Amino acid sequence: MPDKENLRLAVICSSNMNRSMEAHAFLSKKGFQVTSFGTGDKVKLPGTAPDRPNCYEFGTTYEEIYQDLLGKDRSFYTQNGLLHMLDRNRRIKMWPEKFQLSTEQFDVIFTCEERVYDQVVEWLSTRSPVDTASVHVINIDIQDNHEEATIGAFLFCELAALLTSSEDLDNDIDELLHDFETKCQRPILHCVLFY
Amino acid sequence: MGEHEKTFNKIVEWLNEASTSTDQKLKVANISKVQELLIHQNPQLLESFLDDVLAFQSDRTMEVRRSVVGFIEESCKKDPAILPRVMDSLDLLLRDSVPQVQKRVVQAASQIYRGTLMYIARTQPVPAQMEKAWGAMCTMKSEIVKLIDSDNDGIRTQSVKFLEGVVLLQTYPEAESMVRENDFNLEDIPLTLKIVRRRRLEEEASMIFQLLVKFHGEAHVSSVNLMTCMGSLTLIARMRPQFMGKVITCLENLNKKLPPTLSKSQVNSVRKHLKLQLTNLLKQPSAVDYHPEIMKLLADLGCTPQEIAKIMPKVDDKSRRNHKRPGTESASSLHKRPKLEALYRPEPVTEQKKSHSSKAIPDVPPELTEKFIAERLAPETVSELVLAALHQVPASMPPHFPTSYTPFKEPGSQAHIQYLAKLLHSQMSGSAGRQVPRKSGRVLTELEEDDLDEVAAPPPPKAAAPVAPVAAALEPVLLPPPPPVEELMDQDGDDLEGPLLPQRESNEQLMSEREKLKELTPMTPMTRPLKQKARALKLAEITRPLSQEMKTKMCLSAVKRILNAEKTAQFGGVNAIRSKIIVTLASTYNSDVRGDILQFVVDDLQNKLDLDLAISWLYEEYSLMQSFTRKPVFNEDDGSAVKRYVKLFCTLAVHLAEKPEREPLLKRLYLEAPCITEEATDILKSLSCDETRCSVGLQLLQSLVIRRPPKQLTYLNALLEHSAHDSTEVRSNGMKCVLALYDDRSDLRSIIEEYAIMYLGFLQLPAPPDVLFGAERGRPSKADTWAEGPTKACLYLYLELLPHEHRLIHELTRVYAQTVADVKRIILRLLDAPVRGMGMDSPELLKLVEECPKGAETLVTRVIHILTDKTPPSAELVKRVRELYQSRVSDVRFLIPVLNGLTKREVIDSLPRLIKLNPIVVKEVFNRLLGNHSDSSSHNSPLTPVELLVALHVIDPKKCELKTVIKATTLCFSEKQAYTQENLAIVMQQLMEMNPLPTLLMRTVIQSLAAYPNLSGFVMNILQRLILKQVWTQRKVWEGFIKCCQRTKPQSFQVLLQLPAPQLQEVLDSCPEMRQPLLQHVQSFTDTQRSHVPQSVMDVLTGTRHVVQEDYDAQIAEPMSPDGLTIDVREDAFQENSGTSEPLPPGMD
Repeated sequence: MPDKENLRLAVICSSNMNRSMEAHAFLSKKGFQVTSFGTGDKVKLPGTAPDRPNCYEFGTTYEEIYQDLLGKDRSFYTQNGLLHMLDRNRRIKMWPEKFQLSTEQFDVIFTCEERVYDQVVEWLSTRSPVDTASVHVINIDIQDNHEEATIGAFLFCELAALLTSSEDLDNDIDELLHDFETKCQRPILHCVLFY
Repeated sequence: MGEHEKTFNKIVEWLNEASTSTDQKLKVANISKVQELLIHQNPQLLESFLDDVLAFQSDRTMEVRRSVVGFIEESCKKDPAILPRVMDSLDLLLRDSVPQVQKRVVQAASQIYRGTLMYIARTQPVPAQMEKAWGAMCTMKSEIVKLIDSDNDGIRTQSVKFLEGVVLLQTYPEAESMVRENDFNLEDIPLTLKIVRRRRLEEEASMIFQLLVKFHGEAHVSSVNLMTCMGSLTLIARMRPQFMGKVITCLENLNKKLPPTLSKSQVNSVRKHLKLQLTNLLKQPSAVDYHPEIMKLLADLGCTPQEIAKIMPKVDDKSRRNHKRPGTESASSLHKRPKLEALYRPEPVTEQKKSHSSKAIPDVPPELTEKFIAERLAPETVSELVLAALHQVPASMPPHFPTSYTPFKEPGSQAHIQYLAKLLHSQMSGSAGRQVPRKSGRVLTELEEDDLDEVAAPPPPKAAAPVAPVAAALEPVLLPPPPPVEELMDQDGDDLEGPLLPQRESNEQLMSEREKLKELTPMTPMTRPLKQKARALKLAEITRPLSQEMKTKMCLSAVKRILNAEKTAQFGGVNAIRSKIIVTLASTYNSDVRGDILQFVVDDLQNKLDLDLAISWLYEEYSLMQSFTRKPVFNEDDGSAVKRYVKLFCTLAVHLAEKPEREPLLKRLYLEAPCITEEATDILKSLSCDETRCSVGLQLLQSLVIRRPPKQLTYLNALLEHSAHDSTEVRSNGMKCVLALYDDRSDLRSIIEEYAIMYLGFLQLPAPPDVLFGAERGRPSKADTWAEGPTKACLYLYLELLPHEHRLIHELTRVYAQTVADVKRIILRLLDAPVRGMGMDSPELLKLVEECPKGAETLVTRVIHILTDKTPPSAELVKRVRELYQSRVSDVRFLIPVLNGLTKREVIDSLPRLIKLNPIVVKEVFNRLLGNHSDSSSHNSPLTPVELLVALHVIDPKKCELKTVIKATTLCFSEKQAYTQENLAIVMQQLMEMNPLPTLLMRTVIQSLAAYPNLSGFVMNILQRLILKQVWTQRKVWEGFIKCCQRTKPQSFQVLLQLPAPQLQEVLDSCPEMRQPLLQHVQSFTDTQRSHVPQSVMDVLTGTRHVVQEDYDAQIAEPMSPDGLTIDVREDAFQENSGTSEPLPPGMD
């Protein structure tokens, strides 16, 4: 699949807010055909105290969340970058999407942490089969903060470019991942699942 | 209708656009648009456009071809009846060259196969076309089965997925199977179907399942394939619980031994995947039997008990201990199936009598058991347990252990003990649980019946077991013995009609399977390494080729290690094997390896003086060279085997030839080597040319001549060459070797002789041939003339052979005649020793003398001379020489050597001629005759000195000039030893008695007198007697007489006085100075004395009477004496030829 546009990518984190959206933004800027998802039960954002997170149902628009936080503590959420992040997100798409609700098919799914990976794998392997098209699920652990999210976006983009370069991804992916892992010095999880 | 037409036109337009365009995206987009319209919106049009879309299957871009596959897939999904029309295309696309297309076809095939099977099951009767298409589909299925061994990872993955689908389709579900919507399975296939038989399908499914299991267990499976296969197996286990046991065994095996080729993160992924699969399995109600195994595996994978507990399905005690085989459900399914079908399906135990009590095994909740164990886990117990289990621990750590082992955070803590207790519990219940079904199947059914109505939750599988009493694990478990099978049969026989046999069968099957499972499942968490099955190794898949440089480097360092391992090898007693390895490596690998090993061998030789390794290598190379051993394919070596052999041999030989202390090894090398090439011979030759080292080389050559008959000529030739070497040392050594061979080996004699004769023959050439020159012959520069060096080179060997083989002398005579003077001279000079060696009795020599070929006279003379130089000639020789002399060669010189063998007469006869020869020769002749050369004892001359001198005197003046005779006699006088005073007196006596007196008589007398003055008295006597013989009648003698008297005065006065007066007068006339002293002498006489003097004499003395005697003088027949003859010894310059010591050839006189 030598063409960027032919490789259907998905980037998944827990809340489809920070890491997946950062990568989504970066990858689509680079011309990849990319979608982002969250796998959590709810969309969770840090609140003013650790024990008081902001929780939203999937389906709440970024705009709504933005306005909500704006109303709650404008300066605090400006300072910790949440408002900025939401502002970016609302320009990309309407609302956070839950992966388990999507029927879209992908060639490659990037996940941002092992728990998310587990959830993706579990869901894909328990849902009823559609057409046995294969999908590669690849996990790179990325901490949930702005800086790491940016780095993560770079990593995903680089990896996506690498995968695009292969003529026969299914055959080459083991080696490509091995090379990439050596290069980026982060452990990678990978498996193939089927729709 | 207008709408319909519009759609139609749109499709036509799109298809045209797609077929004319070159943009693949446009094509793909158009096809998908057409697909949407045709399949989902206007299926009635599909028929018309199907072929048009299929035409794109041969498009150049693979994306387009993929979309065609997608189109086919969708079409079939929509209407499986279309399959016969697309089957060919599908088949074609499966053979596409691009893996992506193949993958897409395999993926589509899963759906199509399923759809087709469903279609066939539903449609009665099956159309003929469809039957055919089904056949094709089945062919494709087997094609895909083969693809599981494809080289492409993705294709394998898809194939596994396809096979998974096939297994699921072609097996029966069970009550506790996970059910997916739209599930289709064997039960849905009507039994009446001809083309599809359930039984066959199920057989196939189980075959394919085995295939998957095998694939899953392959040692070098890729991580993606492994995870796919793992997922497929798990899914199969979940949906078809009859496979659960095998799948769990599979997973256990995998956990014990992960493929070694996986990278670290791949291992993590795989383990994670495994964990997920196990979790999924654990949730499955049908897996209750296997919970201990699953939990153990999960624990191995790092799951905490809490996590496991969370996953565990919430099954209440009742349902757990209930072994549910719902009779109703089974019965219902039984209704659908004829009894025959039951044979092929494990059927749960349903009806059994309540005769057995189930109370024997009280059910204990796990918490209690765990608590029981935890309380007893005191250090003592634990250590005992550890000790008891120690013998089951493998000797070495299994490779997977470090990866799967997770250390406890707080060893010995309460939590830890609790965890251990839980593990022990699962262990016990697991092992106990597995035994239960066959031991107390009856018991279970009873319970099961009780709860039948209440149980709503999915019942445990057929083999669900009540948990054994925990205590029993620590103490011997006392379970009721299983009822004998017969009993079971008897009891059940009444009630059961059909299922009995199948039941027993399946139960037994089950048992044996479990038995196997048990063997494979170790009791301790620490697992034994599993017996590895022989699996096809696909190296190409998992390895990357090393760089050439790296390969070479590794190869060389491996070789080095082997080379350096000598001590270790010796220690281990495998030195021979090591040598063999080294030799094989050396002879079959590339030049780098060879070089290294050669260096090693050479160094080794220096250290140890051991040649074994080198020799075996040589033999190995020789085998390759002779093709005894096949040349290995990886030998990309330069040059031929012969070259390699030569190079090895020469390197070794040169190295060994370097130092004298390596000579024994050099000998061994040459004598033991399988083949000695020309180059190796050359090394030996050059070694032989070295003056200091030649003996080794030459002796080696000699041994080679003897021990290597096929090439003996080569070596012999080399040896022979050295026998003509310029250096004395080399030559004598070479000669020794050649002669040894010549004497020992009769078969080589003729060769050696021919060689010698060939060289001899060179002498006939106008100039020395080139072969005689060169550094290796010791004569670096070429000479144009026959100087001494080259001449000798041609003669050495021949002359050495001569004493051994006398007949060769004839060759020499043949050649001799045609050589130039210089060569002749050298030959004659060199002939001495060999001829002496031959001896004069040699018949060949005698023959030579007898024949004396023309031109070889000097040679023959020389030969005879040499022979007689120190020893008297033999009679034979004399005879031959005499014959020769008489018949053919009348050169008197021939006789000289054999003079002593001739008779007196012969010698005397030949004397006149002999003394005419060169004075030196004459002297030689006299020496021989007088025995001056030889020992006096053996001397046996035919003539005594006296006789010789006498003979000289009586030589007929006609035959020989007097002058010559005088010279000869002079020579005699110089031989004081032979001519003593007495001998001379005898000579004089004899001469004086002769008549007429010899001419030289008086000369001899005077000479004798000069030599021996003591003889004067005797001379006076002679003189007196001469007077009596009237000496004056012979003029020459008379002159001598006078001269003698003159010299011997005053003694001669007495004699003079006895002369008659006329003679006295004559004397006084010729010597007037005598008169006065004579007169005085007479006057001093006494008167009486004086009275005896006759008057006439007195008158003469006084001069008063002068006697004239003309008459008398005239009467004397004066012998013809030359005029100028003087009696005095005069030294003549007769040594004209003194410069040449050689006798002139006879013809040149």
